[in-house]
Amino acid sequence: MPIRGLKGGMLKFLSDDDLKAIHIATVEILSEIGVKMEYEPALEIFKDFGAKVDFKNKVVKIGEDLLRKGLSSAPSTFTLYGKTEDTDIKVDPQRVYTIGGSSALNVFDLEGKYRPAVFDDLIKFTILLNQMENLHIMHAIVIPSDIEEYGVDRLLFAGTFPYTTRNYYSQSQTGADGVIEQLKMAAVFQGSEDAVRQRPMFTEVVCMVSPLKHEKVNSEVIIECAKNNIPIYVEVDAMPGGTTPAPIAGCLVEQNANVLAGIVLAQLVKPGTPCIYSIASGLMDMTSGGYSGAAPETNLLHCCTAQVAHYYNLPFQGGTGIDAKISDAQAGYERAMQVLSNALAGTNFVHLSFGMMEMMMLASYEQVVIDNEIMGATYRMLKGVEVDDFSLSVDLLRKTGHGGHFLNYKETSEYVRKNNWIPKLTNRDPWNTWQMMGAKSMSELAREEAKRILSKYSEPVISKEQTEEILKMAKAYHKKAQEKLKKLENK
Amino acid sequence: MSIDEIKKELYDNVLSGDFEITKELAQKAIKEGINPLEAINTCLIPAIELVGEKFGKREYFLPDLMRSANAMKSALSLFEEEIHKSGIERKSLGKIIIGTVKGDIHEIGKSIVAALLSARGFDVTDLGIDVDAESFINKLIEKDADILAMSALLPITMPYQGVVIEELKKKGLRNKVKVMVGGAPVTQEHADKIGADGYADNAVDAVKLAEKLMTK
Repeated sequence: MPIRGLKGGMLKFLSDDDLKAIHIATVEILSEIGVKMEYEPALEIFKDFGAKVDFKNKVVKIGEDLLRKGLSSAPSTFTLYGKTEDTDIKVDPQRVYTIGGSSALNVFDLEGKYRPAVFDDLIKFTILLNQMENLHIMHAIVIPSDIEEYGVDRLLFAGTFPYTTRNYYSQSQTGADGVIEQLKMAAVFQGSEDAVRQRPMFTEVVCMVSPLKHEKVNSEVIIECAKNNIPIYVEVDAMPGGTTPAPIAGCLVEQNANVLAGIVLAQLVKPGTPCIYSIASGLMDMTSGGYSGAAPETNLLHCCTAQVAHYYNLPFQGGTGIDAKISDAQAGYERAMQVLSNALAGTNFVHLSFGMMEMMMLASYEQVVIDNEIMGATYRMLKGVEVDDFSLSVDLLRKTGHGGHFLNYKETSEYVRKNNWIPKLTNRDPWNTWQMMGAKSMSELAREEAKRILSKYSEPVISKEQTEEILKMAKAYHKKAQEKLKKLENK
Repeated sequence: MSIDEIKKELYDNVLSGDFEITKELAQKAIKEGINPLEAINTCLIPAIELVGEKFGKREYFLPDLMRSANAMKSALSLFEEEIHKSGIERKSLGKIIIGTVKGDIHEIGKSIVAALLSARGFDVTDLGIDVDAESFINKLIEKDADILAMSALLPITMPYQGVVIEELKKKGLRNKVKVMVGGAPVTQEHADKIGADGYADNAVDAVKLAEKLMTK
């Protein structure tokens, strides 16, 4: 049975009129200012569909009719495939899932040391994350420092895909060739390239630049994914006040124009391509110019963007890393506010919600386990409250009368088992009991749990032969990418 | 408006970052025959120094800093023209070539650093984004620059800062120029690894670093 997540969307900051106003402003920007696309074939595609294209300045102006045409074929429901049927995910604009951390350069390791990430961390983190019951989509959480950067995505694939049952959220740094090479690596497990196209077990993300710019590699990846039926997270990483207007409404307009232009491109290449309206935007901290993923303004922005994406009936990815450096009070409050507000707002993929800290620079083993706990509590909130004859319990109240208690009833036992969230790390003991149990902080418990999991699990979820074959391919592809880079540099 | 009043207004408007008014005031000041060097030293520099101080104390924020830097620049360029006309050379603090490295189109951090450097009195040439080694080096030679400042926001483009340094070595230019690097993922270790002369964590520190490199 595939996973059908809990439904969010009860938290709304924008009115229907607000959403219309954002749509109208977006149409004005798309049709009159347009989006810059550095990749000539993307410009050609838009021209073929009647868009106004300025080839000299590489700007595409998308009128309302073309926008509507593009969006009309973008699916609002589809499946993201895991390696087993019970890790498949039924996506729609209501259900709330989670995505792990991505692309951290450093780790806070199990010995409590802050250091650069290495390839072995990638595998260990993936194994740990794969055991987290509240995680639905796997990202490559670190970029290992022991691998040359260009084309590293091939090795990220080899260090993640074989070790997770979840759908793998990939990226291609080099363009279309990355998509094709990853498809070939997935085929090692799935049997053939066609089998991958039928049931892609990985997706790609493209990260556009604000304001209103699509790099060559973005459009290349969008086009290649559309051709191969690979779902795409069409993402913009805005920094309100810096790369977009400071007001949240203005930021929503920029994000919307930028993302929708990417989604329309995918739809023009192949109608029906699954696209996820995505952001990893974060407030620009005006005291430093830095990125804040956990600012309350960032949370507001993400909640509002969920509403904007849903206005177009598109599934939405929001959420981002937090700013704390260690698993302290700051980490707890930042993560809880972030995932709770996003889940309630109906963010369909709460992104980077496991282990990501220090403004996207740091991955923490213990925080992965803590975040799983926070997500569990969040899901309990999402589950909400049922009101029916059973839950109104009038008969039980009548039976019990005045005084007495409800612990004896079968109904109580059934209800609790079905509805209450049972914490794993959260301590609800009084002081003395807690002292007797070692008086451990949550981060100590989380580190112990991470160690326990990693001592128990170390194998890939696919065969050793396939894992080795994928690694061998990845190394060869990476070498090829490096050679290509050298050639480019010598030009 | 008396000269003293104009000077006060200049100071106030750099402080408040009203760059259009600052430019008009500078024009007015020149018409009134103000000593441009004196205007720079007694109005512009004290104002921008106070802006930096307020930024440090979190009384001013980044947009305030940028606007004040622009105001400073708009007046500074007019006064410098006057000084040049009178035949005196006001020495700039140093010549800097700045840009975001090849493969990277992230602009904003680099632009903040460039604005603050020129407000501080450096002669800054901003080559923009996606700049390759050849363009950096050609401009370095053309301007006979003192400092090369390179930005990279992506882990994937960071190594290119090292590529440019290697090119400088190949051309025998490494000892003629100081190299500073920056960008969100850039660290002191990275700077050391690629053999840069300095790294700064933020724009204000980048200006301090540039000043330090000039005295070396």
